[in-house]
Amino acid sequence: MLNKVINNEALGVIFPNSYDGLVPELVKERLMASIPFASRYRLVDFVISSMARAGIDNISLIARENYLSLMDHLGSGREWDLARKNGGLNVIPPYAQKTIKVYNGRVEALESIKSFLVSQKEKYVVMSDANVVANINYGEVIEAHKKSGADVTVVYRKQEIPENFKKPLGTNHDLYYTLDVEGNRVTQLFVNSKRDGEVNFSMNIYVIERELLIRLIDEAYVLGFTCFERDVLAPQIDMLDIQGYCYDGYVAFIHDMKSYFDENMRLLEADNLDALFGPGPVWTKIRDDNPTRYIKGAKVSNVMAADGCVIEGEVENSVLFRGVKVAKGAKVKNCVLMQDTVVGEGANLEYVITDKDVTITSGKSLVGTDSFQVFVAKKQTV
Amino acid sequence: MAKEMVAMLLAGGQGSRLYALTQNLAKPAVPFGGKYRIIDFPISNCVNSGIDTVGVLTQYQPVELNNYIGNGQPWDLDRLYGGIHVLPPYQKASGSDWFKGTANAIYQHIAFIEKYDPQYVIILSGDQICKQDYNDFLQFHKAKNAEFSVAVMEVPWDDASRFGLMVTDENDKITEFQEKPKNPKSNLASMGIYIFNWDILKKYLIEDEADPESENDFGNNIIPNLLRDERRMYAYRFDGYWKDVGTIGSLWEANMEVLDPENSGIDLFDEDWKIYSRNSGHTGHRIAPSAVVEDSMITDGCDVKGTVKHSILYAGVTVEEGAVVEDAVVMGGCTIKAGAVVKHCILGENVEVGENAVVGEHPAGGGIGDVAHVGPGLKIGANAVVGPTAKVYEDVKEGEKC
Repeated sequence: MLNKVINNEALGVIFPNSYDGLVPELVKERLMASIPFASRYRLVDFVISSMARAGIDNISLIARENYLSLMDHLGSGREWDLARKNGGLNVIPPYAQKTIKVYNGRVEALESIKSFLVSQKEKYVVMSDANVVANINYGEVIEAHKKSGADVTVVYRKQEIPENFKKPLGTNHDLYYTLDVEGNRVTQLFVNSKRDGEVNFSMNIYVIERELLIRLIDEAYVLGFTCFERDVLAPQIDMLDIQGYCYDGYVAFIHDMKSYFDENMRLLEADNLDALFGPGPVWTKIRDDNPTRYIKGAKVSNVMAADGCVIEGEVENSVLFRGVKVAKGAKVKNCVLMQDTVVGEGANLEYVITDKDVTITSGKSLVGTDSFQVFVAKKQTV
Repeated sequence: MAKEMVAMLLAGGQGSRLYALTQNLAKPAVPFGGKYRIIDFPISNCVNSGIDTVGVLTQYQPVELNNYIGNGQPWDLDRLYGGIHVLPPYQKASGSDWFKGTANAIYQHIAFIEKYDPQYVIILSGDQICKQDYNDFLQFHKAKNAEFSVAVMEVPWDDASRFGLMVTDENDKITEFQEKPKNPKSNLASMGIYIFNWDILKKYLIEDEADPESENDFGNNIIPNLLRDERRMYAYRFDGYWKDVGTIGSLWEANMEVLDPENSGIDLFDEDWKIYSRNSGHTGHRIAPSAVVEDSMITDGCDVKGTVKHSILYAGVTVEEGAVVEDAVVMGGCTIKAGAVVKHCILGENVEVGENAVVGEHPAGGGIGDVAHVGPGLKIGANAVVGPTAKVYEDVKEGEKC
């Protein structure tokens, strides 16, 4: 494996609840990081696996709420080879210590684990959200950071601002950031820009020296600031050397139900699947399912399916997670069916997203559209 | 802290009748059923039966098997006390020996068993496909106040002379043992799975080792000796699925039976008796719009663009457009190139079948007939033809026939 950082050079911090508000249906009983994705993964698998492959073996996830599913998924961290005596994978829930409250924004989150940050040995901190699905070579990002001598390196991507971000704020108050970059130097940081066309869209992935981070967070916290980008980086854009790292690999952003559906479907194209998984393996919790069985009479076309499925009906243009059952005579088209969804005999599903453990009883028909999918919540029976 | 029962798994078998498949691989490590290896069955049975201490006796080509078992984590057998341990033959202060026979293999590791001070030891075989509750077997052993019990299957009388047979009285007490007899007196075939009281086993192992005439084999020596001494010996009847996958034909057949759990009795879909295995780490499999998939099992990481009928694709198999796979067992990492036809055969791991090549064919008379097989890692060149009886040990060049 190339570009592995030297042991103990960087530690990882992941914010598993970031942008929860954008997909309220999916985070009813979980958080962003543990949303199932791409037939057998959870969103957080991508960032953890990328970090682990780069040799980052001290990773903390600062949870805000609804983190049971995350703890269940991560366990001791051994699936990612992160069950370690030193470092390893740590989920830090609120109230784990006197200082750790339910935080608002990265400033409070990082301040709450300050004693942890202070006691660590790694020189750098790599920070990321969990709603960015990518197979990033963090070793390269850290190398670029060291080479440039920057105070902060931010990973961004050239793309348009997602449509739903540009709509007037509804129930969500999530912030997103775009950058002006000259050479590699970030000269402006915009909050919730509405600009059309291609922009430098921040992936909210940062590399920063641990001691500098602690200082910046300390200063911001005492002033009552909450947001790292808006309150720390933007006002000090001239004082800090902030470098941009343009990532041009495959990325899937989950920022609403539509993007969740589209990004799953996009992986039905072999080129996209190769682009996402090509750079290296992505690990996930093992379920020990049997191989997927296609019984006589099954008809399948353009499908991605995990192990453990039993298919007796017709499935077309769909993503099936582990343990999905499609009974005889059922038709599933343009659907994302999460773990252990059961589609009864003769049922008809089109443009449907089912959460885990959903049962569609025999003969029922659910039809959404390309732009709006019918969503069936966890454990519901239709 | 004593363990009630320790399992000793005989996994040294060479599996010579699996020919090219076991050239560099011990038979228990042979892949099976899409994502398993044969040894996953006895190990998972142990775990599901509440046995957490397993010794695996290896000898032939142990590297891949050792690697596969690793620290036992996939089976939940990475334990502080107990767990799974690979036990090779080893050099002692005075003399070193390969395992001479099945009994000698256990004899050489008496110290391992002693460490756990068990009441019972179960001897398992690493080359059978079987889902069995060893705890149920142990309860039988205890209820009979037995010193030795053996799991037996009823076999058709016509086949009985191919097996080691237990002749029993009406209480299942063993009165006689017949090894592959011409005139069978029983149709209860030994499955090669034994429970011993440890003190009895130890005593007989030590005696057997001291006998220079002995072959140090359970079937040929230990069991006859127990009978001679009129020990309390019982036969435990098992009527579930059991298959010795010792030949290419039986290995192929057992894989095909996995495709038909309703009739064959081998159900890998049983949530209450999962078979665990080391995960391949692949992403979900993909069925392209051009693909036809019927009556098959497909594992993570496969990429299917061609036609797959009544076959098992193990992890990471690629079937290119226009390729046809029928009644085939295609092990992990194989690539079937465009236009190739693969029928009624077993492909070892990482085999590449070139464009328009043909491997195997359906037997004219139906049934199992001949099953071609290709050893792991080999390349079958474009337009090559591998006949239905072929045992392929080496690459087949472009256009060649074998």
